[in-house]
Amino acid sequence: MVAAAQETAESPAVRAKARRARDEELLVWPDLVFVEFIAAMVFLLALTALSITIDAPLLDRANPAVTPNPSKAPWYFLNLQELLLHMDPALAGVIVPTVALVALGTIPYYDQSHEGQGEWLSTPNAWRLMWIGTAVGSIGSILLILFDASIHVRIFEGLTHGKWPVALNFIRTTRSLQNDLPWPASMRDINLDPFLRTDLLGLPKLGLSLDIPGLIVAQIIPVSTMIGLPIILSIVLWKTGEAKTRRDHMIAQFAGFIAVYVVLTLVGTAFRGQGMELLPPWLVKPPVS
Amino acid sequence: MATTERPESRSMGDRLYDALFHNYVWRSIFRSGYPNTPRNQMLVVATNVFLHLHPTRIHRTHVKITHTYCLGGLSFFLFLGLTITGVLLMFYYVPSVERAYEDILHLETDVRFGFLMRNLHRWMAHGMVIMVLMHMMRVFYTGAYKPPREFNWVVGVVLLVLTLLLSFTGYLLPWDQLAFWAITVGTNMVGSAPVLGPPNKFALIGGFEVGPNALIRFYTLHVMGLPLLAATFMAVHFWRIRRDGGLARPL
Repeated sequence: MVAAAQETAESPAVRAKARRARDEELLVWPDLVFVEFIAAMVFLLALTALSITIDAPLLDRANPAVTPNPSKAPWYFLNLQELLLHMDPALAGVIVPTVALVALGTIPYYDQSHEGQGEWLSTPNAWRLMWIGTAVGSIGSILLILFDASIHVRIFEGLTHGKWPVALNFIRTTRSLQNDLPWPASMRDINLDPFLRTDLLGLPKLGLSLDIPGLIVAQIIPVSTMIGLPIILSIVLWKTGEAKTRRDHMIAQFAGFIAVYVVLTLVGTAFRGQGMELLPPWLVKPPVS
Repeated sequence: MATTERPESRSMGDRLYDALFHNYVWRSIFRSGYPNTPRNQMLVVATNVFLHLHPTRIHRTHVKITHTYCLGGLSFFLFLGLTITGVLLMFYYVPSVERAYEDILHLETDVRFGFLMRNLHRWMAHGMVIMVLMHMMRVFYTGAYKPPREFNWVVGVVLLVLTLLLSFTGYLLPWDQLAFWAITVGTNMVGSAPVLGPPNKFALIGGFEVGPNALIRFYTLHVMGLPLLAATFMAVHFWRIRRDGGLARPL
């Protein structure tokens, strides 16, 4: 290894390359320090101007007895609050962000190739894949949000001037699958105590029961959507030959993730009115107490 | 001590220049002469603890704004700005349920430039979250997480989480309806986790509901714990950039 390194270091090609690299170099002072200084000044001035013109929000004194409608988290968590409307709180509030952060943090360990670093989207298909990922992620999440807001029911009723058929009530929203299908009572409440014998360990009985329709709506459908749709995207990209390397797949997936993140944040911030109802931004009123 | 490259001085201007930039006091501080020759320009970077974050030379393409859009540097700049405005705000703010909201009102009306400090702190905090997210996108799309920079990406993700937590803990401090209910919604999400959720929520807000204990905990985390942690990870992050060979470049 060391011998090989010495050999290459002494080869004329490498020496020539090193000299060329030196010619390509600039001095950090003044070339980089100047750029950094200008960037800092532009931001300082812009932020000062912003701070003079727009005041930071301040509402009434905190009052635990008065709950504003709607109560919203800071904007960068509104994507999670938006997810909360569509699935189990534990899934939306903790498990999804944890899995997302772990997936983000381990990106370099899935894609270990050295190819295509130091240049913007340098693989041949990268720009295309980024746009495909962005389009699929944003359109997909918008459609799913609209479905849960029963947009298909509203369109149907608008077009036919009739009522949404009662027989199809179970697909008004995802939640309707739980409430509007004739599930047998036994499936809504399966006692798990005979299976989870915590009493054998000397622990108290957990008293858990399983609600199959609730489980399908709050867990199984959201999880299979969030895992299944990205997998389908990758399979389609692979079969059509759009994505060839791991880096290609990851660009599409990352772009899709960013698109979903942005859509959920925007919807949670600007499109959710009282009772977290989906509304166009101009109909969203400030929270009332 | 690095020796100074001194041009031959003849004229009045040169002598004045020498007196200003090559005198005993100047050289005791800066170790090199005024950075107007290549040698001094490199020395000024190499011998200054702040500029020493940089190499002395850098590849031509890395100075182009469109290569990085300065996003990482601007995140750090915002962190520094938040530290300065934050220290100034601490002079006037007491983290108690009785005083917090009144202190913010005083800051808005009675304290000279108090409104400016508060607004700057607020907008810089939002700006930092956006900058850090965009910096992450830049690093991903330029493939700058690839070997040997894998671990620095992980450090970066930790810094993203710390940025969000810093912003979140600061959100409660004005103690108005916006702050109180945003933190209530946010910590309820933490509490919804199976098994680990409720004890973690209890530890975070020091009770079952957001109250005086939550305020002092968030304040301490916001002004001490998280900034120290973030500064430590930033030191590792910047040091690793240099150790891993500077900015990523095509092979």
